[in-house]
Amino acid sequence: MNADRKRPVDVALDILTVLLLGLILLPIIWVFIASIRPDADIMSRSPFPSQVTFDHFREIFARADFMIALRNSLIVGGAVAVCTIVIAVPAAYSLSRFTYRGRDFIGFLILATQMLPAVAVLVPLVVIIRSLGLANTLTALTFTHLALGLPIAVWMLKGYIDAVPRELEEAAVIDGSSQLGAMIRITLPLIRPAVIAVGTFAFVLSWGEFLLALALITSAEVKTLPLALQTLFDPYSFSWGVVMAGGVVIAAPAVLLFLLFRNQLVGGLTSGGIKG
Amino acid sequence: MTSSVRGFFFLTKDRLMSTPMQERQPQVIGKASLPYALVGPAIVVALAIAVLPLLYALWLSFQDWYLLRNPQPVWGGLVNFQALLTDGALWRAFWRTWVWTLGTVAVEIALALPLALLLNRDTIVARTASALILLPWVMPFIVLGYGWRFLLDSEVGALHALLQVVGIAGNSSILNDPNLALAVITFISGWKGMPFMVLALLAALKSIPDELYEAAAIDGASAWQRFRSITLPSIQNTMLIVGLVLGILAFYSFDLPWIMARGGPQDATTILGITMFKAVFTDLRPAYAAAISVVMLVILAGVSFCVLQLRRRE
Repeated sequence: MNADRKRPVDVALDILTVLLLGLILLPIIWVFIASIRPDADIMSRSPFPSQVTFDHFREIFARADFMIALRNSLIVGGAVAVCTIVIAVPAAYSLSRFTYRGRDFIGFLILATQMLPAVAVLVPLVVIIRSLGLANTLTALTFTHLALGLPIAVWMLKGYIDAVPRELEEAAVIDGSSQLGAMIRITLPLIRPAVIAVGTFAFVLSWGEFLLALALITSAEVKTLPLALQTLFDPYSFSWGVVMAGGVVIAAPAVLLFLLFRNQLVGGLTSGGIKG
Repeated sequence: MTSSVRGFFFLTKDRLMSTPMQERQPQVIGKASLPYALVGPAIVVALAIAVLPLLYALWLSFQDWYLLRNPQPVWGGLVNFQALLTDGALWRAFWRTWVWTLGTVAVEIALALPLALLLNRDTIVARTASALILLPWVMPFIVLGYGWRFLLDSEVGALHALLQVVGIAGNSSILNDPNLALAVITFISGWKGMPFMVLALLAALKSIPDELYEAAAIDGASAWQRFRSITLPSIQNTMLIVGLVLGILAFYSFDLPWIMARGGPQDATTILGITMFKAVFTDLRPAYAAAISVVMLVILAGVSFCVLQLRRRE
């Protein structure tokens, strides 16, 4: 934008920025590089790969346990995304469009669950889920993962629905639609990008989640990807390249999401997000 | 990723909450129960995943339940809390958690403040960089944990080789050194949380009016004086609040020290989250673990309250 009136100071600071950013992101870049270079090359510790290979990815996708975990992660993540949307959209609509007793408290309650770290509820959740006989099931994992993204989904969507003019719905109601019909036909299409965004968030949060999976899942057939990555660490023989390739597979959705929704992510923060 | 993205949204939520609720009644006539029915499933989830477990943890913390002795919990009164007070390993983990928490926040501020000042410019590079800097924040713990283990590995780690040259690391990885392991994992924890602080500080920096700096420059204030008397006072509130949020997340950490060192070597990185996890899964004492989590929650509420009070008084 201001490229034509750059001062030397700015250029110097830009160069400094690039260098520092490279340094900060180096561990991440290193993971990606290690996943596409031969193991012999990794052992040499030279910073630059001598050749590019996709053997590690081929190897990892040939492993049955990793593929099972991939499937499980897709199932759990997909279910979490769908449930988050199905539960959050009506809740956000209710909080945005209606005035009723207890509304503010309900909003606060949903928000408060977001602030609760997983470690704080880990013990009781594990005990409850075990006594229900749901340990080692994807159902239990899906349900606990709902807590990761649901509260923020409700609040984000509420903000978007607040921004949709009420008159649009009222017009539809006058034309004979029910309130719910107006929500589905008028408001929902307007906030569709936000709905997709929160669904993707929920998916990514579930995809990379480690602690709850570790606590609830022990048998191999219901393990998710983060747990499967752990099992790649065979103490006697393992390849760093393969482990890093597994890491890339787990990181990929997060990075992709970040690239897709970067503006929403950063914009949400920088547009007066912090009032201190 | 879990906690990270959650924390990330804290700021966004703040903004959403501050949008004025539309108090005007919809003109359409709906059944009075409709809004409750719509929000119901979300309430059920909140109750089932947050409220109920917290109440259950409280109840559990008063039970005597050692799985090897009795398969069902029996009322034990304060037995867990008494055991807690005399548990030497737990106390060490407790103090270690404070070192870890304060260390993490210190690293976050130390890394984020210069970066935020550097990125607070309107160039394409600065704008792109302030987006890319989010990457450590959005990557899952498991990937970063193994990535750093790889870097620090004594056989293949590039960073290990560097540390060896400098003389910090010997032949074995510093993750095997009880003294250095906690320090290095604390640093990594701060590195992961830093982007959140950078973005928060950037937003605060952008809200400082340019006129203040212009006036100060006319008065002949040096760059350092301008930083001390304009920049710092304008961002310290944000720093405090975001530091508190990141501190809470750090206090409740589990993933990084577990993935990188399993709480070792010799318990050197065993923070409370790991103590609690081991109390359930290794020692088979769920009631004792519940007591730990109750105490953690009480401490956290107390500290947060004090910090916010302190802020109000200022």
